Amino acid sequence: MISPADQVGHASGELIDPQALMAIRSLEMRARVVVEGFWTGIHRSPYHGFSVEFTEYRQYTPGDDPRYLDWKLFARSDRYFIKKFEDETNLRCHILADNSRSMTFGTRGYTKAQYANTLAATLAYFLHQQGDAIGVLTFDERIREYLPARHRPGHLRHLMLALEKPAAGAATDLVAPLKRIVEIVRKRGLMVLLSDLLAPVETLENNLAALTASGHEVVVFQVLDPAEVAFDFSKAALFHDLESGRHLYVDPESVRAEYQRRFEAHCRAVEAICTKLGIVHRRFATDRPLELVLFDFLRERMNRGKVVKRNTA
Amino acid sequence: MSFLTPLFLLGALAVAAPILFHLIRQTSKEKTEFSSLMFLFAVPPRVTRRSRLEHILLLILRGLVLSLLAFAFARPFLPKAFTSDLPTGPGKRVVVLVDTSASMRRDGLWADARTKAESLCRAATPADSVAVFAFDREVRRLVTHEQWTSAAAGQRVALAVDALAKTSPGWNGTQLGQALVAAASVLDDARTDNAAQPTRGPRQVVLISDLAEGSRLDALQAFEWPKGTELIVEPLKAKKPTNAGLQLIADTDENEKKPGEALARVRVSNSTDAKREQFQIGWSDGKDFVGKPQDIYVPPGQSRVVALTAPPLGAVAERVLLRGDDEPFDNSLALIPPEAARIGVLYLGGESATDTTEPLYFLERAFPPTRRQVVEVLARPPAAQFLPSDVEAPLIILTDTLSDERNATVRRLLTDGKTVLLSLKNRNVERTLAGLLGKESVSAEEAKVASYALLAEIDFQHPLFAPFADPRFSDFTKIHFWKYRRLDPTQLPGARALAKFDTGDPALLQVPVGKGTLYILTTGWQPADSQLALSSKFLPLLFSLLEQAGGIRPPITQHIVGDAVPLTATNAAVRVTKPDGTSLMLGAGTAAVIQAEQPGIFTAISGTMTQRFAANLDPAESKTAPLPIEALEHLGLPVTRADGKTPVQVAETKRQLANAELEGRQKLWRWLIAFTLVFVTLETLLAGWLAKRPAATASSETISPAARLS
Repeated sequence: MISPADQVGHASGELIDPQALMAIRSLEMRARVVVEGFWTGIHRSPYHGFSVEFTEYRQYTPGDDPRYLDWKLFARSDRYFIKKFEDETNLRCHILADNSRSMTFGTRGYTKAQYANTLAATLAYFLHQQGDAIGVLTFDERIREYLPARHRPGHLRHLMLALEKPAAGAATDLVAPLKRIVEIVRKRGLMVLLSDLLAPVETLENNLAALTASGHEVVVFQVLDPAEVAFDFSKAALFHDLESGRHLYVDPESVRAEYQRRFEAHCRAVEAICTKLGIVHRRFATDRPLELVLFDFLRERMNRGKVVKRNTA
Repeated sequence: MSFLTPLFLLGALAVAAPILFHLIRQTSKEKTEFSSLMFLFAVPPRVTRRSRLEHILLLILRGLVLSLLAFAFARPFLPKAFTSDLPTGPGKRVVVLVDTSASMRRDGLWADARTKAESLCRAATPADSVAVFAFDREVRRLVTHEQWTSAAAGQRVALAVDALAKTSPGWNGTQLGQALVAAASVLDDARTDNAAQPTRGPRQVVLISDLAEGSRLDALQAFEWPKGTELIVEPLKAKKPTNAGLQLIADTDENEKKPGEALARVRVSNSTDAKREQFQIGWSDGKDFVGKPQDIYVPPGQSRVVALTAPPLGAVAERVLLRGDDEPFDNSLALIPPEAARIGVLYLGGESATDTTEPLYFLERAFPPTRRQVVEVLARPPAAQFLPSDVEAPLIILTDTLSDERNATVRRLLTDGKTVLLSLKNRNVERTLAGLLGKESVSAEEAKVASYALLAEIDFQHPLFAPFADPRFSDFTKIHFWKYRRLDPTQLPGARALAKFDTGDPALLQVPVGKGTLYILTTGWQPADSQLALSSKFLPLLFSLLEQAGGIRPPITQHIVGDAVPLTATNAAVRVTKPDGTSLMLGAGTAAVIQAEQPGIFTAISGTMTQRFAANLDPAESKTAPLPIEALEHLGLPVTRADGKTPVQVAETKRQLANAELEGRQKLWRWLIAFTLVFVTLETLLAGWLAKRPAATASSETISPAARLS
């Protein structure tokens, strides 16, 4: 397998340190930096024509509606091509960004929410450049911002503004927002869920199932802070739950092993659910360069057809 | 190694603080925010052995810093052989004056006084000589210097303690001045007695007293306090400041009391530092009020006079009781309503009492009865037998010739101490005069008076005429004398002319005869001889005479405890019952005087005669507010306020001073402070290094989450 660092990167061959990236104030600028870096890297890579939906023009085959023939192209190339409608051909992608309080945790100088929003902006920018329709939905225990998937001049700007709004919510409740989005978004499309998924797994399955059941293709990016994974605190202290406000006195050294065990079990459970529902699940820490995440995403899209959907539900 | 201020060593206990901090370091209240506690569980704070070991050097440094600081503040020094400063010279002579007056009966004062006196005795060195005196109205020597020095060194304190245990506060007033004078004199005498021993130790008078305002200091007015004698005052403080007292006020009204009028007037005075102002006063049978008590309001430092009407009929109430006061010792006043004294004046003359030309007529009207006394003129014909009551009469008045036998009787009475007034009504009385004087004859002749004679030379110095000495009363010129008998004073041995006529002839002569006194009036007061009986001078003159004769005693409202009370002399034995129920027998013929040593009503029974009198507390004892020590200083006393320093403490002070000097020279604390600074620097460096180190190790140890994920 080709290492992502070999495939994606800037001209210098180095990835952007997320910490440096987060120092950029503007979300759009951050997205642009990532995507442009990504493009630079992509030209150097042996893979060409990466796209969510690459088939813009299709060779005319008998039986196609001649109204959609691109006559201009025929005049230039003397070949028949069918011009697809934007609506049909372009991907409708909704980015679901979790802005609950647990996402405001971060030990690397930025929070998980900032990282997730940057990732969302990066995806949006990338897809927008491709001409795909992007919608954004931010939520905590209820929906905060919702922009329907569109591809219009100025829409990207609105997306960025929606993503830049500070998180104000309390708990992570996937139930209500996911239910709502199923109701809102009737047309099938891609749903990218950016969340830490630090919520009981029991309800998770039902909600994700509702998404997949309505025909959406779902990608889950589980954003975690490195400290959440490693639990590398050294001092015993009073731990304060950002969501519930609960306090707990914890000596990290004594609980670390148990924490990691429980945390791993939770992640496994989440993964199992995703696999079961045919949902692409990616778990990464916030110190992971965004280009790699984007690369992961695109590679996933590329392999889409090859994956056997094991949706037994 | 010794310390100047060893209490600072307690500061070393602060070492516990860093140890505690090191122990509880792990249980700090540090808060860490975390995204979710769903994978965590509570772990009780624990102190790991590792954490203590980790910072043991830091702990030692911190402990050292604190210990050194405490050590430096305790001002250590290396002691040198300290020369014993116990007085090697002559010991002190101390007189401990313990107040045993009535005001010391207040709650807890006597116990304090005893404790202080005993501790003073215990503090005495073997060289010292201590005398313990108790005083109230008088000074009583409980332990003298001789007793102290003659006792074995170990027995001395016990001697004083025993003597103090046998003493308790009485009911007397406080003659503080006298007591101080006595104590100072004892010390001064001792000094002069031992002139051969020139160097005497210091002399001290230690006064242990409640220093009540009512203490009398008069004796100090004219006393020069001996130089070199120190007065140390150990004031005692009463637990309850409020003390109200009762005082009977003399009634100057001579008239008879009407039924509803106040029987007695009592002054209620409250001490200046009192906390209470409301009291109740009323008649009492000794335990409780009889009848309804009166409510009175006496602010602190003030007094109120309360008029008490007679107690309810049939009730036995001879005491006045005060309620509402903290201190009960002066809240009761014994009170016997005064009875009029019956005084007899024996008149020997043959005339009729109704004859307005004769002297008896005027004499009988000269003594109106008053509340204080009833004077009875016992008119007897010259030949009549004397009754026993006649002999009791202090004054005998003669205006007529007596038989020889009777004359001898009167002369015996006169030489025994009676006073006789002889009026030369006519020349015939000269025989009687000669008889009284024990002479063969005395010649008196009728004077030739042109129109009238006046009193010209009057000896106002004499007690008889002293009441007239004031110029307002000294005019005798309105009294005309028509007749008088001329008497040559040279015939009368020891005669003194108290008044002379303007002719130079004596009008009134005083002749001492034996123990008695014979007054000779050379004229008569009946209208035939003079206007004397009708003048305004007649009554005062007769009362003055009666007073000289001892018939009228100065009125005594009440007796104060400690007073010697004279009893009416009788030949029988006297049984005296004291207020507390004990009784005393006085043998017949002994001086019938008893000392009232407790307040209340005394009853003296001799034969059929009963005398009762009330003795009360000195009113000054009720003034219990503290006397300012300045009052003693104003009288020239070198007062040292007792700050509780016994000789042992004085020696201790001296030793401490020497230590301070030694420490000041050595200044070990400087080195300690220098070391402290070094350790503080080391601690800072170490703590800084330790604070950096964990972060460095932590970052190196952190496992990359990416690595963990992959």
